Amino acid sequence: MRADDERYFDRIESRLDEAMAVAQRAKGQGKDPEPEVEIPIAQDMADRVENILGIPNVAERVRELEGQMSREEAALELAKDFAEGRVGDYDSKAGKIEGAVRTAVALLTEGVVAAPIEGIDRVELLDNDDGTQFVNVYYAGPIRSAGGTAQALSVLVADYTRSILGLAEYKGREEEIERYVEEINLYDKDTGLQYSPKDKESRFIATNMPIMLDGEATGDLEVSGYRDLDRVDTNASRGGMCLVAAEGIALKAPKIQRYTRQLEEVDWPWLQDLIDGTIDGEKDDSDEEAEEDASDAEADEGESENGDEEGEPDGPARVKPKSKYLLDLIAGRPVFGHPSESGGFRLRYGRARNLGFATAGVHPATMHIIDDFLATGTQIKTERPGKAAGIIPVDSIEGPTVKLATGEVRRIDDPEEALELRNGVEKILDLGEYLVNYGEFVENNHPLAPASYAPEWWVQEFAAAGADVQALQDDPHVDLESPTATEALQWATDYDCPLHPKYTYVWHDIPVEAFETLAAAVADGELREGGDLLVVERSETVQTSLETLLVAHQQTDETIEIRDWLPLARSLGVSEDLTKEWDELSADARTWDGGDNAVKAANEVAPFDLRERAPTRIGARMGRPEKSEKRDLSPAVHTLFPITEAGGSQRDVAAAAREMDEQGRRGVHRMQINQRQCPDCETQTFKSQCPDCGVHTEPHYECEDCEVVCEPDEAGRVECPRCEREVTAAEWQEVDLRKEYRGALESITEREGNFEILKGVQGLTSANKTPEAIEKGILRTKHGVSSFKDGTVRYDMTDLPVTAVKPEELDVTADHFRGLGYETDIDGDPLRHDDQLVELKVQDIVLSDGAAEHMIKTADFVDDLLERFYGLPAFYDVDERDDLVGELVFGMAPHTSAAVVGRVVGFTSAAVGYAHPYFHAAKRRNCDGDEDCVMLLMDGLLNFSREFLPNKRGGRMDAPLVMSSRIDPAEIDDEAHNMDIVENYPKSFYEATLEKTDPESVDIKIGEDTLGTKDQYRGFNHTHSTTDIHMGPSLSAYKTLGSMMDKMDAQLELARKLRAVDETDVAERVIEYHFLPDLIGNLRAFSSQKTRCLDCDEKYRRMPLSGECRECGGRVNLTVHQGSVNKYMDTAIEVAERFGCREYTKQRLRILERSLESVFENDKNKQSGIADFM
Amino acid sequence: MPLETPSRIVQALAEHGYNAEREVVTLLAGADDPAAALETVVEATPDNALRVTTATVRQTLDSSPPAPDPAAVTANSTPSANTSVSTPTKNPEKPTQTTDTPVETEGSSDSVTRAATTEERPNGEGASSRSPQPAEITGDITGRSTGTGEYKQFVTTFRDRYKRLSKLLGGRVNHRPASAIQSMGGGSEAEMIGLVNDIRSTASGHWLIELEDTTGTFPALVMKDREIANMVDDLLLDECIAVQGTLADDSGIMFVDSLFVPDVPRTFRPSTADRHVQAALISDVHVGSQEFMADAWNRFADWLHTEEAETVEYLLIAGDMVEGVGVYPDQDEELDIVDIFDQYEAFSEHLKAVPGDMEIVMIPGNHDAVRLAEPQPGFDEELRSIMSAHDARISGNPSTVTIEGVSVLMYHGVSLDEVIAELPEEKASYDEPHKAMYQLLKKRHVAPKYGGKMRLAPEEKDYLVIDEVPDVFHTGHVHKLGWGKYHNVLAVNSGCWQAQTEFQKKVNIDPDVAHAPIVDLDTLNMTVRKFA
Repeated sequence: MRADDERYFDRIESRLDEAMAVAQRAKGQGKDPEPEVEIPIAQDMADRVENILGIPNVAERVRELEGQMSREEAALELAKDFAEGRVGDYDSKAGKIEGAVRTAVALLTEGVVAAPIEGIDRVELLDNDDGTQFVNVYYAGPIRSAGGTAQALSVLVADYTRSILGLAEYKGREEEIERYVEEINLYDKDTGLQYSPKDKESRFIATNMPIMLDGEATGDLEVSGYRDLDRVDTNASRGGMCLVAAEGIALKAPKIQRYTRQLEEVDWPWLQDLIDGTIDGEKDDSDEEAEEDASDAEADEGESENGDEEGEPDGPARVKPKSKYLLDLIAGRPVFGHPSESGGFRLRYGRARNLGFATAGVHPATMHIIDDFLATGTQIKTERPGKAAGIIPVDSIEGPTVKLATGEVRRIDDPEEALELRNGVEKILDLGEYLVNYGEFVENNHPLAPASYAPEWWVQEFAAAGADVQALQDDPHVDLESPTATEALQWATDYDCPLHPKYTYVWHDIPVEAFETLAAAVADGELREGGDLLVVERSETVQTSLETLLVAHQQTDETIEIRDWLPLARSLGVSEDLTKEWDELSADARTWDGGDNAVKAANEVAPFDLRERAPTRIGARMGRPEKSEKRDLSPAVHTLFPITEAGGSQRDVAAAAREMDEQGRRGVHRMQINQRQCPDCETQTFKSQCPDCGVHTEPHYECEDCEVVCEPDEAGRVECPRCEREVTAAEWQEVDLRKEYRGALESITEREGNFEILKGVQGLTSANKTPEAIEKGILRTKHGVSSFKDGTVRYDMTDLPVTAVKPEELDVTADHFRGLGYETDIDGDPLRHDDQLVELKVQDIVLSDGAAEHMIKTADFVDDLLERFYGLPAFYDVDERDDLVGELVFGMAPHTSAAVVGRVVGFTSAAVGYAHPYFHAAKRRNCDGDEDCVMLLMDGLLNFSREFLPNKRGGRMDAPLVMSSRIDPAEIDDEAHNMDIVENYPKSFYEATLEKTDPESVDIKIGEDTLGTKDQYRGFNHTHSTTDIHMGPSLSAYKTLGSMMDKMDAQLELARKLRAVDETDVAERVIEYHFLPDLIGNLRAFSSQKTRCLDCDEKYRRMPLSGECRECGGRVNLTVHQGSVNKYMDTAIEVAERFGCREYTKQRLRILERSLESVFENDKNKQSGIADFM
Repeated sequence: MPLETPSRIVQALAEHGYNAEREVVTLLAGADDPAAALETVVEATPDNALRVTTATVRQTLDSSPPAPDPAAVTANSTPSANTSVSTPTKNPEKPTQTTDTPVETEGSSDSVTRAATTEERPNGEGASSRSPQPAEITGDITGRSTGTGEYKQFVTTFRDRYKRLSKLLGGRVNHRPASAIQSMGGGSEAEMIGLVNDIRSTASGHWLIELEDTTGTFPALVMKDREIANMVDDLLLDECIAVQGTLADDSGIMFVDSLFVPDVPRTFRPSTADRHVQAALISDVHVGSQEFMADAWNRFADWLHTEEAETVEYLLIAGDMVEGVGVYPDQDEELDIVDIFDQYEAFSEHLKAVPGDMEIVMIPGNHDAVRLAEPQPGFDEELRSIMSAHDARISGNPSTVTIEGVSVLMYHGVSLDEVIAELPEEKASYDEPHKAMYQLLKKRHVAPKYGGKMRLAPEEKDYLVIDEVPDVFHTGHVHKLGWGKYHNVLAVNSGCWQAQTEFQKKVNIDPDVAHAPIVDLDTLNMTVRKFA
C-alpha cells in the first residue's frame, strides 16, 4: 500500500476511533439495551465473517487460510476445522455442520450479505429408512442474496462435513424426490427462477443429493401432488430450497465440480452427467423433453446477444435488435427508442469519470430535449449491453439532432440551448450519443457491438496513415475534434484515412434509392452567398434523407439550404462545382443490405473512405426515477416505544399518554414489553437503566408456564430447562405511559410545545420487546428526523459512481480538499484551484443536497442527544453545510448486514449519492438504478441496537451488524473490477468491435489488473471528460409531473416527437402491460376481496354476516373499492382511440368497461334526464 | 330485447334516422314491448320525415297488437310447404335482410333476420312437427343487477345465502345463535346452523370448523375418529351446514356429534314432460378459437334436421359461445377470429344451421363478453342483436329454465375447478365432472367458496343459491363430458366443441369434444350423440 493510501485510511480510522470513544462513554452509562457500541469494527473480510456469524476465532483462521488458498478452498478447510472441533464450540454434529455451512456462505459473500445468518435456518439430523442418520439443511428465503455459487457450495460444505463426521448420505424416498420436482416447478411458475431445471434434472439432483435440502415455506401456493410428507413439514413451496437446487446446484454444477474433484472425501460423480445433460435411466417421456427443448431454443433465440450474421455476406456488421426491455412498459415512463431503431441512441465507447459499473452516459442536452425525463441517476431499461443502467451526464459526446418548427434541422450540444429551443422542437431526429465503457461489455459478457465512428478512433487512424498528429495537436489553429470542412476534406484526400466523423453522415440509414435521388438533387442545386450556401429543391425524399443523415440544414417551403455542404456533396460523388461524377452504382453497392443501406454507395462514389457513423443504435426506456429521500417507516416512528392502539393511527405518544382507561386511570396501558432486572438492587423494570440505582439492567428470562428463571446459553439462545420451550425476556405488563412520557420530557428539560408530534409504535416486534428511551424520540421529532426499525436515522439515494471530481462542482473549495488530504490533481499538479480535477479516494462520498440537509438535522439531533441525554459534549457542532465535509457516515445496502464507513467530501444537486465505484461494490451494489442509504456515523454508534431488530425471518437484514472501516478492493463485489481504467482505447479495439469480438479477447486495462498491487487504490483514468457531474435536469420529469395522467400525456407526447419511437406501439404497450393488467387484476381483486375493520384493522377473508367487526364491533369496509378498480378506464379508452390502437385492444377495453358498469351500476336506477336523451 | 332506458330509445330511433319528440320517447318507453313498439312506429313513420311525432306513436301503439310471444312467432313463420327432411342443409347461405315481413307477426327488427333465414332454408325443418313451448326462466339476474359494489351489498348477499340455506337445514336442528351458544354453560347440548368460516386441522389431527351466523362465530370440533370426520373432507368454505353436539367443559368449543348439509332429499322425485320430447344440452362452443370444431358442429346441426332428431325440440347452451378476447395473455395469437363481434357473428351463423323451430336458451360463460363476476347477466343489446338467429332466449348465469315442466338449472361451471381442486380425487375429478356437480347439489349452492378464483358481484340476493331442487342440473366449463343422477336429479356436464388447446396439452387435459347429451324430458333418461 502506498504511504498516501495508508495516511488516508489512518485519517478515517482515527476519526472513527474518536467517535467510538465518545459513543462508548455514552453507551457505558447503561441507558441503552447494551452498555456498549453494538456495531463492531471489522478491518477486513475475516473480521466481518466472524462478527456476522458471532463464532469466535473464525477470523483468525480465515486470515491464516486466505494467504494459502482460494476462498472456496478455505471454506472447505474451515469445514474440516469445524468437524474436528478446532473452530467453534459445538457439541452436536448438527451444530458443527451448521457452523461450517454458515461460515462457508459468509466467506463466499465477503461477510457482507445477510444470507449466512438469515438464509440458513438450521441443520438437523434425521433418520434414513435404513436407520442411518443423514443431514438436513434448512434454508430460508434470504439465501437468495448469497448468489448461486455460494448456495451450491453451501451444499458441498455440508456434505463434506457430513463425510468427515461419518454420517450417512440422504436416501430420498420416492415421494420426496417427486416432491422436489413438483415444488421447483411450482416455485418457478410463482416466483420465477433464473434457471428452470427440467423435471428430469430436478429428479436427478434430488436422487443423487447426499444431503437433504429442506426449508421453510415462503409462498402461499401449495403443491397439489406430494403433500403431507413425513419428513417435509410444509405443503407450501420452500423458496430457499428451490433456489439452492435450481440456481445453485443445477446452474453452477461446473463450478462445484471444480471443488469436488479436489476432495477425496466427497465424490459427486453425478455432476458430470448433470453438466453433460446425459441423464438417463430416468422415467421421462421424450415428448416433454422435446417440447422443453423447443421452448429453450426459443428462449435462447430471444436472449441471443450475438446476432452472428456471417451467413449473410451482403449486409453490414450489426447486433440483433432485442425488445425485451420494452416488456412491462409502464404508464408515464417513456420509451426513448425502439430496438436498434434509426434515430435512437448511438453507441459510443468510452468512460467518463462518472461512468462505469452499470451506468450509461448521455448528453445533458438530450436530457432536456426529451422533456427532462432523464436526469442524473434516472434508471433506464436498455437494449444492451446490460438490462438496466443509471443515467449520467456527459457533455463531451454528441447531443440530440432536432427539427424545429422553423424548419431548421440542427444538432444541439449545449444544455442551455436545448432548454431555449425545447418548445420549438417538432421532431427529435436523433437522440445523440450514448456512452458506454468497454468494461460493461466485459461484465455482461456481451460481444462488442460495432462502434460509432468518433474522433478518438479517427485520430488513431489518422496517425496510422502517417499524419503528424502531435504537430496538429500543438497547432492552436487546428481542432482535431472538430476541424473545418476544408481541413477534413484535405486530410481525407491527402492521407489514406477515412473522412473525419464530424462530416461523416449516417449513410447506412438511408436506402440506396434515396442516395441516388439526393445526389441528383445536390447536383441540381444552386450555390449562393459566394458558394457558402447550397440550395436544393425540397422534395419529400430529399428532406427525409437529410433528416435521417443528420445533416444540419434549413427547410423553407420550396427549398432546403445547407451550409458546410462540400463534405456532403463529395460523399455523394458530386464535385465542388456541383457536377455529379458518376452515372451508375455497382450492383454490389445497390444490393448492399437489400438496398436499404447506402454506405457502400457513398464509399464507391466519394473520393475518400467513409466509415459507418452509427452502426449500433441502442433502444431504451425509462425504468425507475432517481431517488434521494429520507427513509421513514409508515407511519413515521420517532421512538421505538410501544403505545398500543391508544395512539390512534398517528401513533401519537401524547394522545396515548392522555387516554383514560375504564378505571379512570390516564395513560396506563397493558402491553408486551421487556422484562429486565437490576443486577445490584434486583429491581424489575423494562428500562435499560435501573430507575432506583441507575445501574444498567439485564434482561430477565422467566418461563411463562414454569415460572423458572433461565439463563441464555453461549449462543444466546434461552431455553426453559423444564419445558424446553424457548423463553424471551418479554412479558405483559401495565405501563404508565403518562409517567414515562412526562419523566422523559423532564429529564431532558424539553417542553411539549417544542415539537409537533411524537410518534411511537403500536407494539415492538423484537424478541425481547426492548423499548427505546423515550427521550431519544423526543429529540428526534424536535429535529425533524425519524427512526428506522433498528433505531438509526437513514437517508436513501440512488448509487452512482465517480472516480474524479472537481471541488467546485461539489460546492466545496480546494481548501476543503486539501484539508481532507488531497494534495495533487489528477495530473499530479499541486491542488490550488477549485476547478482542478482530483482523483477520488475509495471511501469518499458525495451527498445529494437533500441528504446533506438531513445529515445536518441528524447531526443536530445527535449533538442534542449527547448533551442532554448522555450529558456529554456535542460531537458535530454543525453550523453550516460545509461543516459536514470530512465527517464519516455509514453506507448500507438492503439485504446486507455490514455497513461501510464513508467520508463526506462534497455535495451534488443531483438526486443521487455519488461515490467511488469500489465503495458501492463494498456494499454489494452496482449502479444500474440501485439505491441504498447513508447514516450519520455517531447516530449509528449511539442508537443502533440488535435488541430492536424484528424477531422474524429477514429481521437482521438491512441492519449494521458490523462495519467495514476500510475497503480492500479484493474483498468487494468483483463486478467493480471489470471497470476499465485507461485514458484511451486502442485502434485495435475499435476494429475488433466491427468483428463483434468477445470483449475478453481485447486488451484494455481494467480494475482487476491492479488488484493486490500498490496501485489498487489509484489510477482510475477515463477517456471522456465531462464538465460537471450533475448537468441536465436535477429531477426527472416523472417526479415533477403531478398525476399519472400528466405523466402519461407527456410520455405519449414524447413518443410522438421521437423519430426512433413508434407511438402506437407505446400506447398499445402501456395499455397491454399497465392498464389492462391493472383493470383486470383490480376487477378480479374486487370480486374476491378481503375486508378490513376500519377501527381495529382486523382482516376478514369474507364479509362478516353481522356486517360489523367481530373483534371490536367497528366498521368493516372493503379493501378494494370501485375507485381503485376503474381509475384507468377512461384514460385507457381515450389513449386507445387517440393513438389508433388495434381493434383487439379497443374491444378488450370496451368489454371491461361493460363489466365495470355491470358490477358497479344499478340496472334499475340508471341516470335518466334530458341530458341523457341525446 | 328490452329497450329499457329512454336514452337507448333515442339511440335506436337515431339509428333509423329519426329525431323524436320528447313525448314519443316516454310513450315508447312505457310500451309493453318497447322494442316492438319502436319498430312499428318506425314502419309507420314516412321515410322522408325527420321527426317521429307523438300522433304517429299513439296511433300505432293503439292499433298494433301486443308483442307476440317469440316462440309462437317462430312456429308461425316457419314455412310449412316443404316436406323434405332427408337432405339437411350443410351450409346455410347468409341471410339477406328483408323488410317486407309483416309487422303483426314480428316483434322486432331482430326477428326479421331470423324469419329471413328460415324462409331461405327450403329443405330441412319444414316437415318437422316440433312445437316447443316457450321456456320459463327464473333466477335470472339479467336487467336486475342492482349491486353497485358497496360493502353492505356484499353483506346482504351473504346474509341472503345464510337465510335461505339455513331454512333448508332448519328441519334438522334447532338453531341457537352463536352469541347465545357463547354464553351457554359447559357440557350443554347445542345445535347451530352457520356458514363455514374456517376449517383447520388441529395438531392432533382433529378438525376445527368455525361456523358463523349473523351474531358471530363459534368453533366446532370434529374428532378424527368419528364417522362424520369423513364429511369434513367435502366441506368448502362459505357453504352452509348444521351441527349438533356438546359444549366442552370450558364451553369455548362444541364437540360435534352430527353434521348436516342442506342436500337434495332422497325422496326427491323430478317432474317430467307429459309427451315424448327431448332437449340437447351443450356448452363451450368457443367459436373464434383456432380449435373450434366447425365440421363437428355442422354434423350436429345436420343431424338435428334428420327425422331421428325430430323430437329434439330444445337446445340449451351453458356458456362460452365464443372464445372471447383477452381471456388469457396473448390470446390474439391463438384466435381464428380476432374481433369479438365477428366471433359472435360467426357463432350466430353456426346457430342458424340449427333447425329454426327449436327453442334455444343460452347463458354466458367465462369466455363470453359479459362481466366475469357471478351471477353473470345475459348478453347485452349489442351482442343480442348479433345473435338474433332463432330468437334464442338469453338468460344470465345461473338461471333455472323450465321446459315442458322439467326444470333445468343452467350454470356455466367456473366453480367446478375449485371443487375439483379442493376435494379428494374420488369425490370430484375432471374425469367425472358430474361428481363435482353432486357436491354443489348437496351444498345447494353453485359456487359456495368465496375468494380465490371465485368472483362475486354483490346483489340484493344470492342468485347462486339452489333454492328449489332442479330436475336437471346442466353445467359446462371443464370441457369434459359426464353425467349421472344424484338423488334423482340428473346432473350433466356437457363437453365442448373445441379441440385440445396448447394450454390444455400442457396441463394434460384431454377434452371431450363434440358430444351432444340428449335428455328425454319425459323420462329424464340420457343418451349421448357423438359428432367428432
